[in-house]
Amino acid sequence: MNGVDNKIQDAFGKIKADAALKESTKDYLAKKRGAIINPIPSRAFFKAFAAACAMLLLTVGIGGFWWAQTPVSYVSIDINPSIELGLNRFERVVSATAYNPEGEEILRGLSLKGKRYTEAIDCVVESEAMGRYLAGKEELVLTVAAVDSQEKEIESGVAYYSGSVRHRCHSVSADIETAALAHDNGMSVGKYNAYLQLSQYDSEVTLDECRHMSMAQIHGLLIEHGHGGCREAQQEGVREGVDSYWGTDRQDAGESLESGGHEGHHHGSHHK
Amino acid sequence: MRSEAEVNHAVERYADMVQRICFYHLKNQADTEDVFQNVFLKYMTYDQPFHDSEHEKAWLLRVSINACKDLLKSFFHKNVVSLEALDEVEAESTEEYREVFEAVLSLPAKYKDVIYLSYYEGYTAAEIGKILGKAENTVYSLLSRGRGMLKEKLGGEWSGQ
Repeated sequence: MNGVDNKIQDAFGKIKADAALKESTKDYLAKKRGAIINPIPSRAFFKAFAAACAMLLLTVGIGGFWWAQTPVSYVSIDINPSIELGLNRFERVVSATAYNPEGEEILRGLSLKGKRYTEAIDCVVESEAMGRYLAGKEELVLTVAAVDSQEKEIESGVAYYSGSVRHRCHSVSADIETAALAHDNGMSVGKYNAYLQLSQYDSEVTLDECRHMSMAQIHGLLIEHGHGGCREAQQEGVREGVDSYWGTDRQDAGESLESGGHEGHHHGSHHK
Repeated sequence: MRSEAEVNHAVERYADMVQRICFYHLKNQADTEDVFQNVFLKYMTYDQPFHDSEHEKAWLLRVSINACKDLLKSFFHKNVVSLEALDEVEAESTEEYREVFEAVLSLPAKYKDVIYLSYYEGYTAAEIGKILGKAENTVYSLLSRGRGMLKEKLGGEWSGQ
C-alpha cells in the first residue's frame, strides 16, 4: 500500500450513512412489515375482485337467460300436423317443435318465439298452410300441460281461445309429467295424451299407430270403442271416458264428427 | 420474514457500506433513499439463512450494487453523470479527499465496483468475481484498467497492483 491507496481507502471511509437515513429506512421497513402481515387490498386484489364480479354478472346473465329460455309449460296443437309450443315462466313461446312433416311445413316461415301463447296459437291456427287441414273434417285439439303456477291461466286462456275460433276445436288438459313422457316418445303432449286415452279402451293400439293417425281418426276410434261390442256396463264407462276427454256430452257424442261444430269445449284429462 | 430486531441491526451494521455504493453510483439523496429501502426490504423478506456474517455482507453488497444499477437503468437516470454526489459528502469530508472522490466518481461505472470492493472492502479478484457475477479474469482486467485511470487522474505514487 502506498499513499494513494491509503487515500482512496480513507476517502471511502469518510462516507457514512446519516442517522436520519437509517431511521427513515427502519420506519419504512416497519410499515412494510405491517403491510405484509396485514395486506391492504392491492391493485391486483381489486383486479381479481372486478374479474370475480364480472364472472358473477356473466353467470347471473347466462343463468337468467337460461331461466327465461327454458320451457316450463307446453301447449300442443294437433290435427294431423302435430306442433308443440314450449312456454317460459312468462307464458311466452321459447320453442316451437313439429312432431311430423306436416307440422314442419306449417312452422316453416312462422316466427313464434317471444310471442304470448295465445298469439302464437292464433298464428299457427290461422296460418295459410293450416287452412287446408281445418277446411275438412279434421279436428283441432289444443292440449295444455302446465306447471301448477301457470295451469289456471293457460288452461283458461286456451279454453277461451278454443271457444272463439271458427273451426272445430277442443281444448284438453294434461299433466306436465305427461309432456315429459310424450317427448321421450317423440310425440307432442296432445297426441300422446290421446294415445293414453285410446289405450285405455284398446289395449292393442300402439304408439306408432297413433303417431301416424290424425286426431279425428283417434277420436273416431274412441267413439267406435264407445259404441262398440262392449258389455253395457263397460260401455257406460267407456263413453264417460270418451266424452270427458273430447269434451262432448253424451247426446252429441256421436254427432260431433259430422256436425262441423263451431263450439270449443274444454275438459280436463289428467293422468296421474 | 426476519425479525424487526434483526433487520434494525443489519441497517445499523451495513448502512455505511450501502451508502458508499450509493455514493459512487447515484446522483442524489432521493435515489439513495430508494436503494436503502429496496435493499433492506429484500433483506427483511429474504428467508434463506446466511452461513456467517461474511456471507451476509457479500449478499448485501451484491443486492446493493444491483439495486443501484437497476435504478440507473431506468429511463430518467440514463446519461446522468454522478459528480453532483460530491456535494453531499463535502460537508463531512475534508478538502484533501475531494480529488480522490472526483477521480473515483469520474470512472466509468463498470470500474467503480471493482475499485471499491478491492480497495476499501479488501476482496480478492476471485471474491469480487463471485459478488459481481463476473469471471475472475474479467475482474483482473477491470481492476488493472481502473487503477490505470485513477493513476492518470491522481498522479503521484501508485502501487499499480
